[in-house]
Amino acid sequence: MSALVTIDLDGRAVEAEAGRPLGALLHRELNAVLRHTAKDGAPRGLFCGMGVCFDCLVRVDGREGVRACVTPIRAGMRVETVRS
Amino acid sequence: MSGPMRRIETDLLVVGGGPAGLEAARAAAEAGIAVDLVDAGFRPGGQYWMQDPTGAAPLSVQGEEGAAAIAKSQASGVAFHAGAEVFAAFPDRRVLANTADGPIEFVPRAIIVATGAHDRAMPFPGWTLPGVMTPGAGQRLAKLGGASAGERVVLAGSGPFLLAVAETLVKLGKPPVALIEARHTDLAIIAHLARHPGRWREAARLLVAARAIPERRSGWIVTEAIGDERVTAIRIAPVDRSGRIDRDRSETIGGIDALLVGWGFRPMIELTALLRCRHEHDPALGGWHCITDRASGRTSVEGVYAAGEVTGIAGAVPARLSGRLAGLSAAADLGADTAGDESERASLGEQLARARAFSDGLGRLYAPPADLATLAQDDTIVCRCEEITRAEIASAFAAGTDAVAGAKIWTRAGMGRCQGRICGAAIADIAAAETGITPREAGFNPPRIPLRPVPLSAVLEATRDGQE
Ligand code: FES
Repeated sequence: MSALVTIDLDGRAVEAEAGRPLGALLHRELNAVLRHTAKDGAPRGLFCGMGVCFDCLVRVDGREGVRACVTPIRAGMRVETVRS
Repeated sequence: MSGPMRRIETDLLVVGGGPAGLEAARAAAEAGIAVDLVDAGFRPGGQYWMQDPTGAAPLSVQGEEGAAAIAKSQASGVAFHAGAEVFAAFPDRRVLANTADGPIEFVPRAIIVATGAHDRAMPFPGWTLPGVMTPGAGQRLAKLGGASAGERVVLAGSGPFLLAVAETLVKLGKPPVALIEARHTDLAIIAHLARHPGRWREAARLLVAARAIPERRSGWIVTEAIGDERVTAIRIAPVDRSGRIDRDRSETIGGIDALLVGWGFRPMIELTALLRCRHEHDPALGGWHCITDRASGRTSVEGVYAAGEVTGIAGAVPARLSGRLAGLSAAADLGADTAGDESERASLGEQLARARAFSDGLGRLYAPPADLATLAQDDTIVCRCEEITRAEIASAFAAGTDAVAGAKIWTRAGMGRCQGRICGAAIADIAAAETGITPREAGFNPPRIPLRPVPLSAVLEATRDGQE
């Protein structure tokens, strides 16, 4: 139904369906671990899935603090995860 | 992103494109009012009428119903702004929303707030582990992402929404491995349902889905999620009818990769709070909610109406009815000729009272157990954003803090990016457990602008003038 596009995830090319939430793709590709926290270095993943909890933060095209769960997948987007 | 902000003057701004907002917008537009509708979602429909973002066929009956409602709303002339997240509102009724093309400033004569709800989460050991999510997150992964939260999913918590998520996962071919409902509801729910025949078909559908789940328990609660980098097991314990947890009879369920746990919903009151509407606290309605006149949807602030879950958790049927009522009365107050709508409004009011009686009963049956606030241990993170533990929060209350807002100043809990949307109510419950004040007395964190992250330039421009 929808177009398959390629995005850049931490330097690797990943195929994905345009328009779907980036968070859903990352949940699968990163085995649920989207980032590590600044204070404790604890792993975090999607929690609310709807933009409320801010646990799914990644960097998109250089912009910090993007909520993956409410960001639609676009062709060529560059996604970087925050790891400790 | 930069440059002058788009400005839209309109008669009526509806915020939220779920069942309440769509019905409200259509009712007003059909009465001849100029209506703009902003919705943060990928496509309108809200959480209940969620639409597949790729345009694929709906996965659920709700999706089909929603597609029809969206089409009707669109045909009525409502101007839709999808993917627009409201980040500010002012007492003069200006509302700012961010979109992919930059911010828009709405200057409406009246506003209907239909912002819905989010899952009610409660902290417990391990709840920050990846793979532990709200049931709503599981539902969105399935409906928007086209994928299950995991290969072996456990559904837990309380309430009929767990069954709705189960139904979605069954349709995806990934039935949950277990359903752990905390309440002992079987007989009471049958008695309650017996009084509302209009809901039998829906109940039967959900029960069929539940039968595909191999392990179903009621009267059990998840006390801990276990794993290193992600959840791999959970501990569960029986919980009696008075809400006491019996940890001596704990069991472990291993070999899982996702836990969806939730306790119903919380009204999303940040916008009505910014607009200074009056709110009240009632556990059976999800906690803090916006007070409205049920017959008109009017809030305590002139020109501001509210409909749906933000006025107290009740589900989609009351949301539609209250949305239509609010749309009709806003249109009348704005000068539309709605004289012929009097009898319809009376009948809507009666239907709404009946529908709310059903949902209020369900809300009481599935109220979270009394011991819920005792799940979090001293070292359990309560504020996910700032990584503040229960012990730190408890010490603030021991030192004399008596409000959620005070705990925030002492500990930073609730000061992070989520603004306490996830932890605020849990902190109030912990305050109640520690000090004996009620969750109502502990209050809530007033929302701050921007409600959601926006480019700094937009905030500067928005707050430069007009704010009192
Ligand atoms: S998962 Fe909660 S904001 Fe993305």
